Amino acid sequence: MTTLVNSRLVDELGRAHEFNAAACMDCGVCSAVCPLEIELLPRRLFRHVLLGMEERLVEETETIYSCLLCGLCEESCPGGVHITENVRALRHFLNTNAVGGAR
Amino acid sequence: MSEERRIGVYVCHCGGNISDYVDVAQVIGAVEDEPGVVVARAAMFTCSDATQQEIIDDIREQELDGMVVASCSPSLHTETFREVARRAGLNPYEYTQVNIREQCSWAHTDDREGATRKAIRLVRAGIARTRLSAPLEPVTVETVPKTLVVGGGVAGLRAAFGLAEIGLEVFLVEREAELGGQVGNLGAIYPHGNDGRALIARLTRAVGERPNITVFTRAELVEKSGSFGNYQATVRVGGEPGERIQIDVGSIVVATGFDSYEPEAGELGYGIEGVLTLPEFEQLLNQDGALTFNGKPVESIAYVYCVGSRQPGGHEYCSRYCCSTAVHDSLRVAEHSPDVRQYHLHRDMRTYGKNELLYSESRERGSLYIRFADGEPPAVEKLPDGRLRVTVRDLLTEGEELAIESDLLVLVTGMVPRQNEELTGVLKLPVGKDGFFNEIHPKLRPVETVVDGVLIAGACQGPKSASESVTSALAAVSQSAAILKKGSAELDPLVATVDPEKCSWCGTCQEACPYDAIGRLALNGKQVAAVEAAVCKGCGGCVPVCAEEAIDLQGYTDAQVRAMIDGLLQEVAR
Repeated sequence: MTTLVNSRLVDELGRAHEFNAAACMDCGVCSAVCPLEIELLPRRLFRHVLLGMEERLVEETETIYSCLLCGLCEESCPGGVHITENVRALRHFLNTNAVGGAR
Repeated sequence: MSEERRIGVYVCHCGGNISDYVDVAQVIGAVEDEPGVVVARAAMFTCSDATQQEIIDDIREQELDGMVVASCSPSLHTETFREVARRAGLNPYEYTQVNIREQCSWAHTDDREGATRKAIRLVRAGIARTRLSAPLEPVTVETVPKTLVVGGGVAGLRAAFGLAEIGLEVFLVEREAELGGQVGNLGAIYPHGNDGRALIARLTRAVGERPNITVFTRAELVEKSGSFGNYQATVRVGGEPGERIQIDVGSIVVATGFDSYEPEAGELGYGIEGVLTLPEFEQLLNQDGALTFNGKPVESIAYVYCVGSRQPGGHEYCSRYCCSTAVHDSLRVAEHSPDVRQYHLHRDMRTYGKNELLYSESRERGSLYIRFADGEPPAVEKLPDGRLRVTVRDLLTEGEELAIESDLLVLVTGMVPRQNEELTGVLKLPVGKDGFFNEIHPKLRPVETVVDGVLIAGACQGPKSASESVTSALAAVSQSAAILKKGSAELDPLVATVDPEKCSWCGTCQEACPYDAIGRLALNGKQVAAVEAAVCKGCGGCVPVCAEEAIDLQGYTDAQVRAMIDGLLQEVAR
C-alpha cells in the first residue's frame, strides 16, 4: 500500500507544540537505551509523523502512552532531538484530535 | 675493458625483508669474484645514512667507477643511490639498482634456495650492465617563461592570474565568446552563498588588468609541437577557418572543465514539464523573490540525487559537488519561500566536510530526507492537475512505499567528462577509464600529466567544486613556476641515440616512436634519423625495429642488455 506523504501532521504538531524531529537521523540509539525496551519509540514514530502517517500514529497510541518520559533517550541522542517534548506533543495531539477520538 | 672496471656491490638485508628468504652471504660469495668487482658487502639497511656514508667512503678510497645496490624496487631508491654516487663524485649513471626484494624475497617466500639463486643471477646481471656503463650528462634545455592556459572558467582564470602574478607571460584561450565557464552562469554557490557571476566578474576584471595576460576568446588550441619547456602552440581564433596564431610557451595548463550530465528522455521523468536538471533548477533560482515556475508559485519540490553518478555500467564515480549544491539550493528556497515543502530522495547524502552543516541546517528547516535502495530508483508520473507524483520505497521506514506530490522535480545531475577529442589528440593527453584527464600520481603529482610541461587543473581531471578547482589551478601555477622560473631544466639522459654510420633512413623508427621524437637529418650526403633528446622518453620502442641496429638506448645499450642476459644465464653453484 502506498502512503501519500502529507505534511499536515507535522505542520500542526509543529505549530501547536513545537514538535521538531528534523535532526533525527534514524540511528536507533534511542531505541537501544530505552529501559522499557520500547522498540518503536521514538525514531520510527517520528518518521511516521514526518511522513504524515496519521493512522499509524493512532494505531501506536498504546505505545506512545507506555513511555515513562525518563529522558534517557534524549540524553543519548546524537542529533539533540527533544524527544520527551515530542512525545508529550504526540500525546496532546492524540488526546485532542478527532482522528484519535476512538480512545 | 671489463677487467679495468672498479665496481662496488652492496647487498641489502632490508632488516629481514630480504635476508629472511635470501641468503645474503651466499649472494656476496657468488658475486665477489665477478670481473670488475673490487668491493662486495652486505648491509642491514643500505639506504640508511650510515651505509650511504660507507659507500661514499668506498667510492673515494677504492676509486670505484661503478656501483650496484641489490635491494628494493628501483622506483623506490634509484634516485637515493644516484645521489650517493653524486656526493662521492661518481657519475650517477654508473649506478645500477637490482631488485631482490619485490622480485626475490617477497615473491618467493616458499623457496629460500630458489630465491637466493635468483638473487645471484639478478645481481650478476646488474654487475654486467654496470661493467659496460658510461658516464652520462643530463640533457639541459632552456625554457620559455610563458604559459598557455586552455579554458577560461574559474580554474583557467585563476590559473592565468596566478601565473601572471609570478611574472610569467600568459595566453588564455577560451572556446566560447565570453570568459567565465560554468561558474559564470551561477547565482549563490555553496558553502557561503557567494554569487558565481560576481566571482567570475571579479576574476575577469583582474585578468583584464594584467598587461602580461593575452586573452583569446572563440579560440581553440589546434596544434602543439616542440619539446619540454619549448612548445609551439597554434591557436585558431574566431571559428573555422579563422585566424591561426603561433605562440611559443614553456608550459600548458589545461582547464577545460566538465559537462553536466544530460538525462536520457524518460529517465526519472525527464521530459515531463516540471522535471528539471540541477543546472536548469539553478537558473530558476536566479529569479528574485518567491519561487515560481511558469508563472505559478511553487509549493513543493522533490529532489532525486545521484542522477548520472554512481551508476553501475555508466558513470560509476561520485560527482562530489551535487549533494552539497542541491542541499544549498534547498536552503536558498527556504530563505525566500519558507513554506515550500522539500523532499530529498537520495541513496546516501555526501555533504562532506563543512558542507555537513548545510545538510543539518536543511533538516532543521524542514527538508525531509528519504533514502531509497541502490537499483530501486523512484518512479515519476504526471498528475492530471499538472503536478508530479514521485513514488519511492523509503528504507528508513522499513521499505514503506511513499508517494510524494510536488510541483517540481529536480534531478540532481552530476558531472561528466567534456567531449573534447580534438584537444585530447592535439596534446596527447591520457584519458582515464572514466573519461576525465589523468594525473601522474593522485597524491604526490596531482596536476602533472605524463606529457611533460602539460598540467591539468579543475574539473577536466574529475568532479570538483569551484573551490577545489581553484586549488588545483593554483597547484598548476606553482608547478609551472617550478618548470619555468629557473629558465632551464635538466632532463634524464637515458634517451635513444642514432649511429649515423649504420643508419640508412628507412623511417621505421620514426613510425615506432609514440612521442614524435625522431626526425630526419641530412648528414655527409645521406639521410639519417636524428633523435630530439628533449622529446625522447627513453621508452626504447625504436631500438628493436631498427634493421641496421643503428639505434641504442643510453644506459640500456644492446651490448649492456646482452651482457645482462649472459649474467642471468650463468650457472649458479648449488
